[in-house]
Amino acid sequence: MAELLRLAAFVSSLCGMAWLALAMPAHWQQVRGGARRSQRAARSLRGLGAGALALSLLLSLRADHPTIAPLVWVMMLTAAAILVAVTLGSRPEWLRPLVAFVPRASTRDSNAA
Amino acid sequence: MITQHPSRLHITSRVAASLLGSYAFVWGFVSLVSASSLWAGVPYDDAMQLSSWLGMLLFVASVCGAFTVTSLARVWAVLAGGGALMTGAAWLLLRGLS
Amino acid sequence: MLESFQKSLTWVHTWFGLVLGFVLMSVFFFGSLSVFDREIDRWAIPETRFGPQPLPSYDRVLAPIFARIKPDADELAMGEARVGKPLPAGLPLKSWSVYTTHRDPVLTLWGEFAIDNPNAPEDHVHGHITIDPRSGAALPGDPLAIGSRFFYPMHFSLHLRWLSLGYWIVGLAALSMLVALVSGVVIHRKLFRELFTFRPQKNLQRSSLDLHNLTGVVALPFHFMFALTGMIIFAEIYLPLSETTFKPFHDAHERAEAAAKNLPLKPAGVAAPLASVDAMVDEAKRRWAARDMPGEVGWLIVEHAGDANAYVAVYRAGSDRVSLVGQQIYFEGTTGKVLYEAPPPSAIASISHWLTGLHLQHFRHWLLRWLYVLGGLSGCVCIATGLVFFVNKRKRRHAEEGIAGARWADALAVTAVLGPLTAALAMLVANRVLPGALPDRGEWQERTFWAAWLVSFLHAAWRSAPAQQARLAPAWREQCWGVVLLAAAAVIANWISTGDHLLRTVSARYWPVAGFDLALSCTALIAGAAALRLGRNERRQSAGVERDDALQDDDGALEAVHG
Repeated sequence: MAELLRLAAFVSSLCGMAWLALAMPAHWQQVRGGARRSQRAARSLRGLGAGALALSLLLSLRADHPTIAPLVWVMMLTAAAILVAVTLGSRPEWLRPLVAFVPRASTRDSNAA
Repeated sequence: MITQHPSRLHITSRVAASLLGSYAFVWGFVSLVSASSLWAGVPYDDAMQLSSWLGMLLFVASVCGAFTVTSLARVWAVLAGGGALMTGAAWLLLRGLS
Repeated sequence: MLESFQKSLTWVHTWFGLVLGFVLMSVFFFGSLSVFDREIDRWAIPETRFGPQPLPSYDRVLAPIFARIKPDADELAMGEARVGKPLPAGLPLKSWSVYTTHRDPVLTLWGEFAIDNPNAPEDHVHGHITIDPRSGAALPGDPLAIGSRFFYPMHFSLHLRWLSLGYWIVGLAALSMLVALVSGVVIHRKLFRELFTFRPQKNLQRSSLDLHNLTGVVALPFHFMFALTGMIIFAEIYLPLSETTFKPFHDAHERAEAAAKNLPLKPAGVAAPLASVDAMVDEAKRRWAARDMPGEVGWLIVEHAGDANAYVAVYRAGSDRVSLVGQQIYFEGTTGKVLYEAPPPSAIASISHWLTGLHLQHFRHWLLRWLYVLGGLSGCVCIATGLVFFVNKRKRRHAEEGIAGARWADALAVTAVLGPLTAALAMLVANRVLPGALPDRGEWQERTFWAAWLVSFLHAAWRSAPAQQARLAPAWREQCWGVVLLAAAAVIANWISTGDHLLRTVSARYWPVAGFDLALSCTALIAGAAALRLGRNERRQSAGVERDDALQDDDGALEAVHG
């Protein structure tokens, strides 16, 4: 059971880091080609990202002793960030499914990006 | 001293201040915090532990500060002088305790 | 010092990072290996390749073995050197102790013997016997535990014990790491915006700086806490207040503590048998469970063994939490009565245990340990890319001005980055290949380690000449191939000398050896991929395709900031 919780925590931190990265214009461009995204989409991605990281912490606290869980969580964030950065650097298209739900920005609200 | 090309002597002095000067400063600080804690009734091991955490953090700040404070003379005065003052103050406190 | 805050801190980051980077590379590398030091011991000492064992019965198994312990020959020699004259034959016994973790299959039993040294009243020498706990049989000889007795001490002392010089150098390196982290954060203005920036396809300067920033920032909490806790753990060496200005208070505190615990400081001089220690251990476990922290024995000490004033201290192993051994209970030796039970620690003591336990990792958590290895290796990559960035930057200028500096800096970089890896692998190969009956087998393995590192330096010095023409030196590629060969040789040598090949160890789920062989294999694969990539880059350079040193980037300010 603890192993499943830890796996879920890691998956959550991976998604969280990916969403936080994709909220940034440079990485958004890498994944969605030249398309721009709206301010609202960027804010939602940041919110999703933060939420996923928080969920990851909660899951970690359920899996381990309270003195160990925060350490596991912080190190998971490190691993997740490295994986996301390396993926963005070599195979950015792998992250496309994570933002499939974000509609294309119309030219009207592309004042952001 | 702000300059684009500091002299070898200046760089050596800065490095010495950042390491040796900071060491003296941290020694004084750790002594004073420990002595003050003992004075306040904190158990010995707790006092030494607490002062060592604060001391190590201070050491890092002090090394960085030795290079960012413009006047080298002030750096030496604060680190060496401050270290001596704090060590002296700690000694007085310990005298009062024993 | 320089015209701006940023420039001054850039100078600090560059020079403190560079000078101590050579040392830090080893501290982080051997520190990463130390996470699994006891597992590496299993690989190096095949006779101990069985599962971890709980502490066996003291009364039935350990007591007769303790009684057999005599002072070690090398300890006697050092003791005689300290006292200045030969020591008498039957030295009085001070204490017995045994320490075990959830990862140890074999058990080492220690004896402490008092020696009469007028300069140091508490002076003593040690003796030890290592046993297989399942049978109580002693292990022959004293094979070198490469993980816990070589890689681990290398990490915190560089095996430089003269005047504690190694400890001081590592301390200075830890301080420099913290300074480099703080200054790095300040000068890396776009810290969050560039958090995930990694462009491996770009030229060497750009991609190495990206990787340097990435590994430095995403693992920042790890790097910071490990450097800080490392310094805190050795704080008494660096700031010896308790032995100097605060000595009277330190001594008074020790006396008060002993009095509060009701523990006799000196033996009575009257022989008396020990009561059942097994019963004491059971009582200790019962009390821990009653306090909602059931656990195993981590450390057991019999003080004033054999004397009427003997007492037994039983410590709990902290494998389920971050803090180390603790919650000790003291028993009267002759009766088994509880003398003192350690109260819950104070707030500061709890934080102190947490900080120390975070670094020393006695907890049982394979995932966190592997994440620690990831953190440690990230630190290695951060330091290595920093070195590479620094050297490449100066290569072109030195080539134009005809200075050889960049060539030597490049050679030293190879020695600092690939040297430790080469030396460690050579030592492991020697461990499997040297004849079993060779006298001083352990010393020969250590000599192989240092010799291999020296060869790495000599080879790097010889094969770095192209750096003087601002080209990629073949030393990097060739030593990567060296790593491939040595890592593969280690795996094969393990197979041939013990029969424990990967199929067997994985199917038996014996992870200490399977995991290490897998790690060696991955090392060979990564080094091979790196060597191939380096070869391609070397050929492209000769064809004049790309210039290594330019930061081809729209961020022109970057060049200026990075001095």
